[in-house]
Amino acid sequence: MTATMGDPAAGAGPVEPWDGEREPAQKPEEPSLSAGEWLGRNLFSSPVNSLLTVVFSLLVLLAVRGLLNFTFSEERTWRAVKTNMRFLFTHAYPQDQYARIWVCVGAIAVLSGLSVGLLARVGRGISMKKLSMNLMATGGVIALGIVLREPSAIVDDEGVALHRDVSAVAGGGSFAGWLDANAFTVLAVLVLANVALALWFHLQGTYLRGGPEPRTAHGALVLVSVGVLIVQQYATGEVVRESFADAMSDRAWWWLAAAVLVGGGAALWLGLGDARRRNTFVPAMYVFFVGSGLMVLSAWVYPWGHYGFLEGEFINEPGRTVAMTTKLPWTVMLVLLVATYELGRVLRAAGAGPKLRVPLNLLWVLTPFVLYWAVLRDPDLDWDHVLSTDLPMAVFFAAFGGVVVWFLAHPRIGEAGRVMAAVLVAVAALNWVAAYFGWYPMLQKARISFLLLAVVALLAHNFAGDRSQRLKLVAAWVATMAVFHWLVTLVNSPSTVDTPTDALIGGFGITLIVAVFTLLLAFPMGVLLALARTSKLPIFRVLSTAYIEVFRGVPLITVLFFFTLIFNLFLPDNMTLVDIAGATIGFALFSAAYLAENVRGGLQAVRRGQYEASDAVGFTTVQRTLFIVLPQALRVSIPPLVGQVIATFKETSLLAIVGIFDFLRIADKVISAQSEFLGVKREGLLFVSFIYWIFAYNMSKHSQRLEKRLGVGER
Amino acid sequence: MSVSDATTALTEELAARDDMIVCEGVNKWFGDFQALDGITAVIKEREVVVVLGPSGSGKSTWIRCINRLEAHQEGRIVIDGVELTNDLRNIEKIRSEVGMVFQQFNLFPHLTVLDNIMLAPIWVRKKPKGEAEELARSLLERVGIPEQAEKYPGQLSGGQQQRVAIARALAMEPRIMLFDEPTSALDPEMIKEVLDVMKELALSGMTMMVVTHEMGFAREVADRVIFMEDGQIVETGTPEHFFTNPQEERTKLFLSQIL
Repeated sequence: MTATMGDPAAGAGPVEPWDGEREPAQKPEEPSLSAGEWLGRNLFSSPVNSLLTVVFSLLVLLAVRGLLNFTFSEERTWRAVKTNMRFLFTHAYPQDQYARIWVCVGAIAVLSGLSVGLLARVGRGISMKKLSMNLMATGGVIALGIVLREPSAIVDDEGVALHRDVSAVAGGGSFAGWLDANAFTVLAVLVLANVALALWFHLQGTYLRGGPEPRTAHGALVLVSVGVLIVQQYATGEVVRESFADAMSDRAWWWLAAAVLVGGGAALWLGLGDARRRNTFVPAMYVFFVGSGLMVLSAWVYPWGHYGFLEGEFINEPGRTVAMTTKLPWTVMLVLLVATYELGRVLRAAGAGPKLRVPLNLLWVLTPFVLYWAVLRDPDLDWDHVLSTDLPMAVFFAAFGGVVVWFLAHPRIGEAGRVMAAVLVAVAALNWVAAYFGWYPMLQKARISFLLLAVVALLAHNFAGDRSQRLKLVAAWVATMAVFHWLVTLVNSPSTVDTPTDALIGGFGITLIVAVFTLLLAFPMGVLLALARTSKLPIFRVLSTAYIEVFRGVPLITVLFFFTLIFNLFLPDNMTLVDIAGATIGFALFSAAYLAENVRGGLQAVRRGQYEASDAVGFTTVQRTLFIVLPQALRVSIPPLVGQVIATFKETSLLAIVGIFDFLRIADKVISAQSEFLGVKREGLLFVSFIYWIFAYNMSKHSQRLEKRLGVGER
Repeated sequence: MSVSDATTALTEELAARDDMIVCEGVNKWFGDFQALDGITAVIKEREVVVVLGPSGSGKSTWIRCINRLEAHQEGRIVIDGVELTNDLRNIEKIRSEVGMVFQQFNLFPHLTVLDNIMLAPIWVRKKPKGEAEELARSLLERVGIPEQAEKYPGQLSGGQQQRVAIARALAMEPRIMLFDEPTSALDPEMIKEVLDVMKELALSGMTMMVVTHEMGFAREVADRVIFMEDGQIVETGTPEHFFTNPQEERTKLFLSQIL
């Protein structure tokens, strides 16, 4: 092209116009490195790098070995966790009502399937190459774990490990004994040898330029080091251990798993032949479905769950089924997930995505309320009261408010609208003052409805528009009233689900419920606080700053104690706050302060020009905030916001301290008090940590994808 | 301020038209620094006024006072018969009648081009969505980039972004358009496409006030040129008068430096 332009004579033919349809030049595939080359370039590129690689690999191997030995030690009683699975996840929720829990899980599966199918940005998925490599890598890691783990101890008839005379072994002249006695020296010598070798090659100038030999020699030394490390553990300690062969053979199932994974990955790799086909992509969800499908399938062919409590009696016999087996429900869940995912994809293909986005997201917000109060609690409605009071009141507010909204959303309402909104605000304020002094009786929900109406009236002119816009607003108001009054009725009704403890549900269930409600409360609060703190009105600024600084300056545990123990003393006589509600409020108030600071960071990142442009086209402050400033601010603050979400999720473990049977407390205090598992604690704690980690890790992964999709940091 | 014969003729010609922007003795300070010093000027309907001057002379401050992005502290500014005061209702009314184009475009980066243009007509003018979209598409046609409607601002070139910004301002169907150095942030090859749109707009009879360094545009399109320095209006006149026969020493100096 440039040649043609520079020298007209050279361009004999007309310059080919760029019409965008010409086959774009294919980027040549990156030449794949052999394992040795990759190691050479990345881990052993210089003497210092080699040294770091060796030292840190040894540290990692030692740490992993320690964790494996701890987890798979014969001293662990994993039965305690397996038996108490139901307990850990739902505490004392009655067994005959268990279908309710599955309905909740199912509802979430349906929503997830629809959301992912309908809305998730489909990337290219996972390439077959990556998939097969991941499979092989997983298999390899398992195999390494099997080898690294110390051999099982030989036990006598009573199940007590056999011990030996360490001094005799160490002095006995065997290699293993000698190694055991001098483990530290050996490791030190190996590290020094690595350094020396690397240095020598470096001085020779051959390390990088002299072909592969120096690196191979060094690699061999590293392998020897690792080998010694593995052998060493077979000789450690006072316990008599199995021989290497025995140790390997009693891990047959793990070997099988490793072999299947490596073999499967290799088969996939070889079966796909050339590079082009290896680069075909499968949707990530299908990989997930196949993986979950295999797990569910395994439950059907292998009796994982023969541990458990059957009507309070401890069962531990292979072959005997425990009452609550979960394989059928999990199968149904998976089928629901796959079916709704496919439905979502069909709907997306039909172009329904943009239309269903808002309703679907609203459902996500609403679902926790419905699931907790309507499904899990099975409210016992007092129909006389519902028909005589609840329903008429809801209808009244829907109708009256609907008329008000219709009127106030008129495009040219002008001063009359302001006056009317002011009157409503005055009435709402009067209602609350009356409640304080006891002037006239009024249901609390009527007061709240009035307050909501006053707020909507104040904001209505911002959303005014033509007929259809006004109808939408009225519909939104009516729906809000319907949902609000229905929920309040549910909350105020007693539950038919009878549990031995006061709490409806415990374990991981309560962890999730408290975390979800905390975030649902804290997010809007945090955004409002952040807006108040950056507001032009000093009173808002001062109040918000004071709130944030107070809550950030007080330990969370104090806040929790206040709301679970002390707060009730301040309430009127006929009101009490149950522990879980108190704890949720405490968590929410606390998180809101932190979320507010994160959002404030985002608000400050919105450039002044955006405010000016919004002002110049005539937006009101509310419109500017909602349509222009907040979307950009929240986008920027996604990383810290997700950090706060993860922190809040983990902080719910403090529920254990204020006396609620949450996930952690069951593992820590309850299981270890059962007569079958007296003092068994570590297994439960490890399991709980693992589950927390899975959830936190997934949130963090999801936020990374979200960041990428919204292009944070690209501007 | 000396008023030349040419300017007198121009004033007579314009006298019959309505006043769109009236500034009387406008003063503004940033801290102790006086940014505007007794600005008095009248801009008539369908007039195109170019404001010139060295940087720091208060051109941008003046234009930003006209739709209250900055508040003036003394004097009067009357836009189309409505005086700018602290009364929010007046500010809202004036802002919906005065369109503004910024040096840095200031498009909303999280919205598509179409939504950038439609948002204000829908929520401020209370237009039905369909009508607003029709308007937005016709405006994109007018500024010459109908095919970019579904893209995001970050995917457009500077010149295209500025043209979207003009369309966004026009979507409010303003009676006055303010341009605050609309081409200063653009690469040279993109300046022309924006100036062409502005010329077309001027020919269509829009009242325009343009702060710019594009002398060609001033010469070709402006009805009147106002030269500012140190927050004061130094000289005002028709382009021919201004470029060929400036009266003030400071104007001559300025022109000798840039031409």
